[in-house]
Amino acid sequence: MNKVTRRTVIASATLAPVAAIRSAAQPTALSPAQLSLLEAIVDRLIPADDLGPGAKECGAANFIDRSLTTEKASFIEGLAAVDAQAQTKFSRAFVELSAADREAVLESSPRPFFNRVRQLTIEGTFSDPSYGGNRGYMGWDLIRYPGPRMAVKPEDQKLRDAAKPVRTSGAHGH
Amino acid sequence: MATKLKPVDVAVIGLGAVGGVAVLPLARAGLKVAGIEAGTWMNPRDFRPDEIHNNIRGLLTSVPKANQEVPTVRERPGAPTRRGTIHPMMNAIGGTSIHYWAQSWRLKPWDFKTRSHVEKRYGARAIPVGSTLEDWPIAYDDLEPFYDTIEHEVGVSGKAGNIQGLIDPAGNVFEAPRRREYPMPPLRGSGFTDLMMDTARQLGWKPFRPPAAINSEPYQGRPGCVFHGYCNRGGCHISAKNSTAVTTIPAAMKTKNLTIFDRAHVTRIVNGPDGRVTGVTYIRDEKEYFQPARVVLLASYTYENTRLLLLSKSKEYPKGLANNHGQVGRHYFGHYQNGVTALFPFDINVWYGTPAQAAAVDEWADDNYDHSDVGFIGGTTLQPHTEMHPIESANMNTFGRAPSWGSKWKAFIRENAGRWTSAYLQTSAFPYEETFLDLDDAVRDPLGDPVCRVTSGPKENESRAVAYGQRKMEEWFRAAGAIEVIRPTAGPPGVSTHAYGGTRMGDNFETNVVDRWGFSHEAPNLGILGASVMGTSGARNPTLTAQALAWRTAERLVANWKNL
Repeated sequence: MNKVTRRTVIASATLAPVAAIRSAAQPTALSPAQLSLLEAIVDRLIPADDLGPGAKECGAANFIDRSLTTEKASFIEGLAAVDAQAQTKFSRAFVELSAADREAVLESSPRPFFNRVRQLTIEGTFSDPSYGGNRGYMGWDLIRYPGPRMAVKPEDQKLRDAAKPVRTSGAHGH
Repeated sequence: MATKLKPVDVAVIGLGAVGGVAVLPLARAGLKVAGIEAGTWMNPRDFRPDEIHNNIRGLLTSVPKANQEVPTVRERPGAPTRRGTIHPMMNAIGGTSIHYWAQSWRLKPWDFKTRSHVEKRYGARAIPVGSTLEDWPIAYDDLEPFYDTIEHEVGVSGKAGNIQGLIDPAGNVFEAPRRREYPMPPLRGSGFTDLMMDTARQLGWKPFRPPAAINSEPYQGRPGCVFHGYCNRGGCHISAKNSTAVTTIPAAMKTKNLTIFDRAHVTRIVNGPDGRVTGVTYIRDEKEYFQPARVVLLASYTYENTRLLLLSKSKEYPKGLANNHGQVGRHYFGHYQNGVTALFPFDINVWYGTPAQAAAVDEWADDNYDHSDVGFIGGTTLQPHTEMHPIESANMNTFGRAPSWGSKWKAFIRENAGRWTSAYLQTSAFPYEETFLDLDDAVRDPLGDPVCRVTSGPKENESRAVAYGQRKMEEWFRAAGAIEVIRPTAGPPGVSTHAYGGTRMGDNFETNVVDRWGFSHEAPNLGILGASVMGTSGARNPTLTAQALAWRTAERLVANWKNL
């Protein structure tokens, strides 16, 4: 945000850098093994490839770990079911499977859990980084979201021509 | 035993969009007003450019009271009920006017007298079967002065299309005559909405920038909108959105005649042996209070207005307050809001802005075209608009062009997350015999009171109207260059932010709860505010009309005070 823009909004509307708003360590819902399994799942939903980092690199699993509250038990059950499916299908743990076999397990996993983990992976990849995902704004870079600006000028809203990216967190911004 | 408080002239239940405006004329007239509100003051720290906070987790809106009484929904009597987890409205000083889209349309003369107009032009058989549609007891001209008052007191930006009969094609040429121009010019366009405006003109339509209770320039000491893109379900950090929390409520407080009781959960409206109401019982910090009042204005929301009346049973009103004719909860309906989604082959850059930053078309609404052969009455306003958030954008429809996860999906959203949008369509709806609100004894709030139950199934008239409007929107999108368009199947709203009826206004006390001024036919010192009194919706947002009616009821109360 340039200085001219900054002057046009009231003084309370400032953006804090992410580093300043990362609070103290948050309680985690998942065990290290569950977290590894989840990372392997989100890695298949949005893989790292020629287009750049995927959900794992963006910290989506970390976001999900921090997000689970009331649904924690059912989510852990869902993770266990994925691992059980891997055992049934390939006689190995999910994390030990090849990418193609992991995808085959996910294809056949129960839809309610799959849809939930897909939704949370999208949230974790594209949310404000203060929630633990979208690390280094890599998710926003992927979809070319220009980032929250406190004041948007007409030239930031042109057709065919996105605004220059702003990479600041808005979560505690005002 | 409830603690009895000092009596006031008027107790207003709810300081949201309507209660929040009604307090101003009352307080200015010198009446002592108690504003009893379940929520509290929000501040700019609550209003963040943060999709998780506002849109995914609903943290701004998820205050306990409303979310503990989310209504249940069923399609017809006997059908299974379902229930959401987040109430679409919020409790706060300012209520949902804090996070709404702020679109501030007037209804049109046709909306007030739909039955008469339809019967005259198309015959009585054109009235939808089973509907309980009645003309309003008042006409557009009766409400025009109050529309004007709200537009200026609250602050609405827009462009007039009809000032006292003088038509200006820069505004909505289909609007009814207004006495003067809006107090502010309309919100600016964006590259995308400009494209849609140009395209509509090429189609021979008459597009315009819709009115909004959002400052397009500094107004009443508050700045103009900065279009930061987190308006939908978020509050405005610079107070450019004209919620009652930053407009009429502070103005009423300046008179010293308004006392606000926040975090106060109203449980019952109390009446005496003569059938008149005597005050309001509420709970605050686990203690019960009774607020005596000469007049009570019920100004919660459509669902809670009905619920509170049905819960307030007494010897005089065994079926609930103001319900001796069984009309409380009847004539319920909600807007059909069925967007049309389009994919463009180029970046449309709708990330920033606000939903009210739109291109609007009104020719397919109300009776603005001949309905002789279309098989329905009413219609749809079309509004492609801005404001798209990153999670929402990545969660896009893939239009059959990609799988829903993996590398191919990733490549698809990389290219297209900034190339799609959904236009906002709202279609007029009508009340029916089998669309109503009552109490659901099977689902209760923490106090043990049943929640509201919505009975509302799909209706043929409305479904046809939606489909017609969607085809027009597809035509518009395609003409603008869209390569894919999806028209979702029309369904009736469940728990809606555009919910009407339950305490309908009308001269006939056998089919209506409140009279033409907004006061109960049965309990004359009980006024009811909100879209719950409206008998038709038009194809436009309810808030401005509900606010104009609220101001009118409050002025009537002041003028009639000595006769109460």
